[in-house]
Amino acid sequence: MKKRRFLSVLGLIGLTAALLISGCSSQSSTQQGDKVELYMGYSSDPPTKKKMEEIIAKFEQSHPHIKIKTMTAPYDDFYQKLTTQIAAGNAPDLWQSDGTKVFGYAQRGAILDITDYVTKEISKEELNGLEFNKDSDGKYWGVPQGIQVGALFYNKDLFDKAGVPYPTADWTWDDLKAASVKLTLDANGKNADDPAFDKKSVKQYGFAFFGSSRGAFNILKAYGGGVLDPTLTKSIINSPENKKAVEWMVDGMQRKLFPNPADLKAFQSNFKAFLSGAVAMQIDIYAATTSMNGAGLNYDVAPMPKGPDGKRFAPVIANSWVINKKAEEEKVKAAKEWITYWTTSDEAQKEWTAVGEAIPVKKSVANSEMFLNPATKPENKKVFLDTLEFAGTIDTNAVFTEWVKVFTDNLAELFMDKYGTDEFITKTDQGIQKVLDDFFKKQ
Amino acid sequence: MLELSTKQQEKPAVKKRKWLDSEGRWGLLMVSPYLIHFLVFVVGTSVASLYFSFSDYDILNPPKWTGLDNYEKLFEDPLFYRSLWNTVYFTILYVPAKTFLALLLAVALNQKLKGLKFFRMVHFLPVISSWTVIAYVADAVFNQRIGFANAFLTKLGIAPQNWLIDEFWVIPVLVLIAIWKSVGYMMIIFLAGLQGISSDMYEAASIDGANAWQKFWRVTVPMISGTTFLVVILNTIYSFQNFEQIFVMTGGSTEAGSTGGANNASLVLMLFMFRQAFSFFKMGYASAIAWVLFLILLAITLIQFKLQKKWVHYD
Repeated sequence: MKKRRFLSVLGLIGLTAALLISGCSSQSSTQQGDKVELYMGYSSDPPTKKKMEEIIAKFEQSHPHIKIKTMTAPYDDFYQKLTTQIAAGNAPDLWQSDGTKVFGYAQRGAILDITDYVTKEISKEELNGLEFNKDSDGKYWGVPQGIQVGALFYNKDLFDKAGVPYPTADWTWDDLKAASVKLTLDANGKNADDPAFDKKSVKQYGFAFFGSSRGAFNILKAYGGGVLDPTLTKSIINSPENKKAVEWMVDGMQRKLFPNPADLKAFQSNFKAFLSGAVAMQIDIYAATTSMNGAGLNYDVAPMPKGPDGKRFAPVIANSWVINKKAEEEKVKAAKEWITYWTTSDEAQKEWTAVGEAIPVKKSVANSEMFLNPATKPENKKVFLDTLEFAGTIDTNAVFTEWVKVFTDNLAELFMDKYGTDEFITKTDQGIQKVLDDFFKKQ
Repeated sequence: MLELSTKQQEKPAVKKRKWLDSEGRWGLLMVSPYLIHFLVFVVGTSVASLYFSFSDYDILNPPKWTGLDNYEKLFEDPLFYRSLWNTVYFTILYVPAKTFLALLLAVALNQKLKGLKFFRMVHFLPVISSWTVIAYVADAVFNQRIGFANAFLTKLGIAPQNWLIDEFWVIPVLVLIAIWKSVGYMMIIFLAGLQGISSDMYEAASIDGANAWQKFWRVTVPMISGTTFLVVILNTIYSFQNFEQIFVMTGGSTEAGSTGGANNASLVLMLFMFRQAFSFFKMGYASAIAWVLFLILLAITLIQFKLQKKWVHYD
């Protein structure tokens, strides 16, 4: 009797455990009737989550055979969760990937090669940014979901106060520096041109840049230099063009026209320097308009300045829809239907444009009042679309975060006067090459 | 793992008493939630991470065995030594200062004072605050542009400092803030220790003509040496595992000069490990760091246990 009771308790525990375990991986039950359940992931904040849910509801109405189940979280959490899900084999069939992360997942074998689908069914003429997800072998790994492109943001109030004309499309980086001199003020309101200018008490800076897409990378490119070669496996840091660009930056830091990493740290976050009106110009991407509008800043945008030889560069990040390499066939099919819907449907594009988070991928919508809406800042939104003509990717590859870390760490030391330009070039060249070899030589 | 547990189960079976009589079975059943948890989440994960540390593992693909590769790379990595030194330096400043301060506070708040509960509570308040809140409070003091610290220095005619980005200052300032945040917790442990000392001891000392200082050194300090030992061990472990503070206060992203401060001056082992695992897809390498960190901590703790014989008294 006792034994039987013991066994039944044991059985109960086993049953509970089994239920728990199967509950954790229950999304393998795929079809309910003829409906395909598509598991989709995207990173979100409250407004983007709400909008995405609305778009999904509309999609399900017009595609009754597909039911979408979602996984979403704020940016950092989303990618941590996604990575563990991929490891456990229960990742979404389709997810929205930050443009800088596409190759990281693709070259580690987690994303499906969709070259066939893209070349056959996606129209290059109608879509912005398709080429930015093509790797050096010509393979496509994703289809743009929203485009981010960089421009020169400037604070109109600070320009007006200093009596400096606004940046124009003809500006070179030297023009930017000349304007910065007039826009950099110390505690007594004297600008950097004044002999009495006090470098130790700068209250307003001319121009701020930091990180990769908002930083030195763009200036190196405009000067004819760069970080990685076209195969994205070799460092090209050690070049006379780069040296010239780096010297240009260091000079600005030393004259206090540009805040160095320590100066920026004083604003708690690098972004707050410009947002709080203590910096007159900054490189940023379209997504920044949301927080700038929130801060009530009086600002506009101009194209990125030209280098000494007239070369121009702006960063572009194509956030993209990518498909899980392990997704089942019918889900891949459903995922493609979603991507086609997202990129071709005016309804979806207009809804997403309204969030104001990215430049629409569909050209007809991007060129319409929906996006170019003159009632919201920045007035000159067309700059973003024109910039797409000369914009390029920021050398995103499988080890992007790792080489960027070496690059930005070394830049910080250079800007803090820990070493000179030559040492920076040698050290960074070796450091980045080591990161690249570590990954690509192993393959 | 299964093998292990059956082995454990077989051992007592050699003994005369049937180990799985009804009482034994019920006992096993009752402890099974703990046992399962222990085997899956403690033993299982440790064994897995040990395996990963000997393999090339990017999380997305199955691990590939590479032998001692990760460890060889680790011992050649200048950033490993940099982060190890930062961690050790943090510990050297942190453990003695915090232990001493906690004891001092506990002694002060062990008196019969008016508003005693209030004072104890005030010191405990930072303990229960989140690091994000503490970071904002600390910023009010150490922000180089608007903080009190620099305002004060400027008044004295001394040049302002870049507290949290300067290579020289960053660790001492982080230690100071860490002590302020958590000293209250150790104070409570000391208070419990102090209240365990019988008042007879102090009376006896008074009769022998001991003054307050002598009573502190000859009675209080030896009598709570057991507590002090516990506090030292806890502080050491805490300081080696410090992550949240440094992540929050010197940034977690890849922005220039944020993670680990300028020249990686505040890059500690935990941050170094986190970055390898979750930013760079190098879980194998990160696991090797974790095991080295574990061995270092184990060694330090064993040394402390050995040394305790010389200074810790139990009644």
